Amino acid sequence: MDIFSGLLLGLQTASTLTNFTYCFAGVLLGTAVGVLPGLGPIATISMLLPFTFGLPADTALIMLAGIFYGSQYGGSTTAILMNLPGEASSVVTTLDGHAMAKQGKAGRALAAAAIGSFFAGTVGTLFIVIAAPLLAGMALSFGPTEYFSLIVLGLVTSMVLTSGSLLTGFGMVLLGMLLGMVGTDVNSGAARYTFGSPDLMDGLNFVVIATGIFGLGDVLANLENESTRAASIAKVSSLFPTRDDWRRMTGPILRGTGIGVLLGVLPGAGLLLSSFSAYALEKKISNHPEEFGKGAIEGVAAPEAANNAAAQTAFIPMLTLGLPGTATMALMIGALVVQGVQPGPNILVEQPALFWGLVVSMWIGNLLLLILNLPLVGLWARLISIPYRYLFPLICVFTAIGVYSIRNSAFDVYLMTLFGVLGYVFRKAGAEPAPLILALILGPMAEEYLRRALLISHGNASVFFTSPVSIGTLLIAAVLLVSILLPSFRRVREEGLQEVD
Amino acid sequence: MKLTQDVVQGGLFLAIGVVALLMALDYPLGTPGRMGPGFFPIMISTLLALTGIGILLRARLGMSELIRLARSMPLFIVSGAIIAFGFLLDKLGLPLAVLLLCIGAATASVRFEWSWKAVAGAAVFSIVCGILFVTLLGLPIPLVGSWLPVLGAP
Repeated sequence: MDIFSGLLLGLQTASTLTNFTYCFAGVLLGTAVGVLPGLGPIATISMLLPFTFGLPADTALIMLAGIFYGSQYGGSTTAILMNLPGEASSVVTTLDGHAMAKQGKAGRALAAAAIGSFFAGTVGTLFIVIAAPLLAGMALSFGPTEYFSLIVLGLVTSMVLTSGSLLTGFGMVLLGMLLGMVGTDVNSGAARYTFGSPDLMDGLNFVVIATGIFGLGDVLANLENESTRAASIAKVSSLFPTRDDWRRMTGPILRGTGIGVLLGVLPGAGLLLSSFSAYALEKKISNHPEEFGKGAIEGVAAPEAANNAAAQTAFIPMLTLGLPGTATMALMIGALVVQGVQPGPNILVEQPALFWGLVVSMWIGNLLLLILNLPLVGLWARLISIPYRYLFPLICVFTAIGVYSIRNSAFDVYLMTLFGVLGYVFRKAGAEPAPLILALILGPMAEEYLRRALLISHGNASVFFTSPVSIGTLLIAAVLLVSILLPSFRRVREEGLQEVD
Repeated sequence: MKLTQDVVQGGLFLAIGVVALLMALDYPLGTPGRMGPGFFPIMISTLLALTGIGILLRARLGMSELIRLARSMPLFIVSGAIIAFGFLLDKLGLPLAVLLLCIGAATASVRFEWSWKAVAGAAVFSIVCGILFVTLLGLPIPLVGSWLPVLGAP
């Protein structure tokens, strides 16, 4: 199917009333989630997943995707107005965005972020249209060896890009893989780590674990240090960038988009890395680097463009290879598999309406966000002043009902509580749980591909170093691991990931 | 040894790794060319235990932060409220269970106080949940639970 008929099919799919409504609901919900601190996209998507099981696959994916990129927009709003990064990837936006707000230029900062994000979203979507079929074509020749190496790369990147030490990240990845093994082994039929419980025979549901660790775990951790959020909200005046603003932000938006588009495709790399790199690049090439951190509009436009571009292109490896790059994408894969859709190189042929519908809906969603969000800034600002004591009981209710409804099992609710407590322990121990969720989805795939690769090679592990794609992927992973030990990169990583949760 | 972040991480990884390894030894190992169900678990759990040991060794350097518990009550109150919800859901029906969970969890907040407004809000929210999840979304959860035959439960 060529691109134009594909886009036409996508337009037909995305513009049905149902899909449009869910896209709208998704981006609206996503923005709200991005605005509310203490409720991230991972927690929200895992909480809402069970309720999307009844929807058609394309509708469910369109809404979940809307939540994901909508939260990027919302995160930047609080970053600028309140100096609170609603999302990890908006941490850099607080630097110059809030500085601008303090100078009374909040509206222009918001506009720069929104315009940058919209432009980047459009380019990101176009990039998916062009790159996804190419990658899917390439991926058809990938065997288990290549897939295994790609999974290793994804897990390594997720370890490198989380706060805390590398060893901790490695431990979390291994723990996630172990949790993924619970249940019946597909090849031998042997029950592993089930403790004789029939409830565990089908394995641990990833929604239960993700909701527990991220939804409930966050609640438990936030309640311990419940403080009054006396956030002062900057006034929003003119929303229109001046002619000078336009001139100054055009270049950064273009460069930020480029960085985001490319880094978003890397497994595990994603949003965070792209927004930091875009900011660092602008600061480096700027004629007036001393303005950065004091309200330079470049420092808002570039990272916002980058993280939104990356939010779009992160879908490429997820859809065409079936390999999630981030914890959020891991949840999307989980959602698709529940719907009976196996993401992978064949998705364009087998599910053209799903693929193209999603792509077009992402563009529509970005447009909706641009139109909606600037006028709704006041509403979002009010949303953030909801006290946490009203919010968290509702989060508890939604997590509990969501988990129960997966298979009408009270056992899952107890299990979710257990993982909530575990998530709390992880936070207290300074162990970032995102790699665990990624490994939970990738672990069983890794085992299966390793088994197949070694079966074909008769147990000879050197195949991983003879296939060009495989050795190339492993080399990238090795370079990443080495680079983290270099002092200069280490410093950037520590600074960058400090605030991030 | 002080309870630092590294001690907790290392201890957790080591304990889970060792237990998982001992359990995995019971599963058939197979050969690299024909991996049995025990092959991968043994590999991963060994690595996890080793990682745990590595982190515990690092803990001796004393570089990581001490763990401080500010308030531990919310942990028990909120977990307890959710477990009770799981147990009571089909016995009380969705709206009543939601109401109990709302109020139960809310008591964990430092700023919690009884007010008729908050209770009324929770009651309205419970009814909305009942309509949304059971009537509109059609989740197979009873509105009136099995413990309430007076109200006409099946």
